[in-house]
Amino acid sequence: MTPIVPIAVTGMGAISAIGNNVTENFRSLVDSKHGIAPIRQLDTWHRERLLAGEIHMDNAELYDRLQLSREAAYTRSTLLALMATKEAIETAAFKPGDGYRTGLISATTVGGMDATERYYDDYLVSEKNRSFIQTHPCGYAAEQMGKYFGVSDFITTISTACSSAANAIMLGARMIRAGQLDRVLVGGTDCLSRFTINGFNSLMIYTDGHCKPFDENRNGLNLGEAAAYLVLEAPEVARKRMKSPIAYLTGYGNANDAFHQTASSDNGEGAYLAMRRALEVSGLNPRDIDYVNAHGTATPNNDLAEGNALLRIYGSASAIPPFSSTKAFTGHTLAAAGAIEAVFSILALQHQVVFPNLNFSQPIASLGIVPQTALTEQRIDHVLSNSFGFGGNCSTLLFSKDHD
Amino acid sequence: MTKPIYIHGSGCVSVQPTFEAGYFFDHVTSYTQNPVPALDPDYKAFIPALQLRRMNKSMRMAIFASRMAMQQAGITTVDAIITGSGLGCLRDSERFVEALRTDEGSLLNPTPFIQSTHNMAAAALALSLGCKGYNMTYVNNANSFESALLDAMIYLTEHPAATILLGGVDELGERTTQFWDLANYLKRDDATIPTPLIEQATPGEIATEGATFFVASQEPGDHTFGKIRAVETRLEVDAPEIFISGFLQRNGIEAETLDAVVLGYNGDSRYDEIYRTLGSSLFANLPQIAFKHVVGEYDTVVAAALFLALGIFQHQHVPQRLLLNHSGIPPILRRILIYTQRRGQNHSVILVEK
Repeated sequence: MTPIVPIAVTGMGAISAIGNNVTENFRSLVDSKHGIAPIRQLDTWHRERLLAGEIHMDNAELYDRLQLSREAAYTRSTLLALMATKEAIETAAFKPGDGYRTGLISATTVGGMDATERYYDDYLVSEKNRSFIQTHPCGYAAEQMGKYFGVSDFITTISTACSSAANAIMLGARMIRAGQLDRVLVGGTDCLSRFTINGFNSLMIYTDGHCKPFDENRNGLNLGEAAAYLVLEAPEVARKRMKSPIAYLTGYGNANDAFHQTASSDNGEGAYLAMRRALEVSGLNPRDIDYVNAHGTATPNNDLAEGNALLRIYGSASAIPPFSSTKAFTGHTLAAAGAIEAVFSILALQHQVVFPNLNFSQPIASLGIVPQTALTEQRIDHVLSNSFGFGGNCSTLLFSKDHD
Repeated sequence: MTKPIYIHGSGCVSVQPTFEAGYFFDHVTSYTQNPVPALDPDYKAFIPALQLRRMNKSMRMAIFASRMAMQQAGITTVDAIITGSGLGCLRDSERFVEALRTDEGSLLNPTPFIQSTHNMAAAALALSLGCKGYNMTYVNNANSFESALLDAMIYLTEHPAATILLGGVDELGERTTQFWDLANYLKRDDATIPTPLIEQATPGEIATEGATFFVASQEPGDHTFGKIRAVETRLEVDAPEIFISGFLQRNGIEAETLDAVVLGYNGDSRYDEIYRTLGSSLFANLPQIAFKHVVGEYDTVVAAALFLALGIFQHQHVPQRLLLNHSGIPPILRRILIYTQRRGQNHSVILVEK
């Protein structure tokens, strides 16, 4: 397969439990400052009981920061998405409507569920909050975003569980390659909700403490909330407007594990196929990868499957490049994970650092693979980022510093 | 740019017996209710009883429609699965919300949570077919199927040798339907299928559900029903006529060379005017065909319009119940344009050829 023309990344924005913008997120990663704490904002029975990565701004503050009318109905996922997208557009320094065909591809699994679960009975008896009824569908956030920013040439939303944002980024690149768009905002958003916290808790994969990715004694994930978006452009468009890319998207792969509704196959077939396809698309060899930003949710099943998939790609534990999961910083941010980790992958390229995998002490006995546990400076030309989800949906992205 | 894709098989579950062999809208089942659930085919023909019991309606309808399409195409495996669903697995979502609102803090049954995710129909297809290939789910309101279709066209341009499943599925939810009613989306008075159109139209939609799936590839084959040349969507348009003529122009086609148009009339008097205006301008001299008045309204219902257009090519006949005007039907039907919108948004055009 001929390697693809790399797609330019010209801007990015992020908001998560470790920072309200990309700079703050980077600072926290460098300082090993995680954002996981007892739930304080979300109105749930699990408040103060379970640990999660909350963003310390309530919806009212987000409305104000975005200068939105309090009369208009925006759910939290949309508010977070608007914050991150605003930063992405600012850093890419473009104005929607500048003549380039610009699209928006967003990812979410929660959609407007936080409003639906709050007003589920209230809607029936009171007119007060009924303007939120329309916010329930997952597609609504992207439509509001498109209107807010004046992006209208193409809008869609992807929902493939925890691989959603990686797939949004992948589709953006493919649409540019197919000549459908010149530029596209891609990423994902998911706020915390009772629905997801209770969901993962009911599956008994929500840890009672801090998640420990790739540790023998890992016992589940912490959820987090986040939004992150990238600006992808055809390289010639970036060149024409004299914008130097911050990184290139060089590869992507999507596969299905086809094993079980929620569990991954032990040998990580879907993960393996996604990584292999991403490498094929990029024309790179596994040994060209300098850092793997793993999915690493810290559930017993995911880390075993992903670890096995990495071993299948690399042949042995010693051949695997430095890898880490950043989920212990942010929590698992579901549909946003692939995008927030794309931002972290690009930060790794920009600053030539591998971010630490927090809370690790003992390797998984059957794998013998050891993640990077301290911030490490090293040469990084190519970063591989994994995102896997329920339904067997597995996706891998490859970001590169130079495209030659 | 993308190349046309060929359709080799299709399957449709809806409020009409579209899954019955030889059915082609010559008789139409009537309803006087809103919402209207989809008719249940004999799911056991394709799904083992044990698995069937655990599946929600989206999963059942999607697997049944897909297997029909694959059977028609004479294949047993596919390389990729690309789906759209505006609202995902609504009933399981509702069940889980209801459980957590009453029993949060006690151990909740995880099954409705697992089966609530929007990608569950595509996942169930992958699982039942053992398909480890590309797998995607679009949740773009009333343009969810169109996004899946566009992806399918890009995917097949990238993988010219592949054969894929493409489809859309949406199910009704009980509480969600109440919400839509409170939001004034639904028809309250005289809710009937077939839904009266144009002069007899009243405000509101008839909420239904369904699944329509297709087998597609980039090469024509022995069972080919037709090809899809292009699809475009816009969240909002200033004037539908300009959007549609732009689309035709981008594809090098004059409106007069269309043999018919399929329009998204759903009997909602607040929005059907959009189609009426087009019917007396851009499409004035063309046979105009409606479909939502017999299959109802849901986010991915446009997939049923594609099923209908391919059926028209195959049968070379337009079902009388679906024809809106008396423009002469050309002796050979080989090029149809589908245009729909929902509540003034999510406009889409699909160009289909024999």
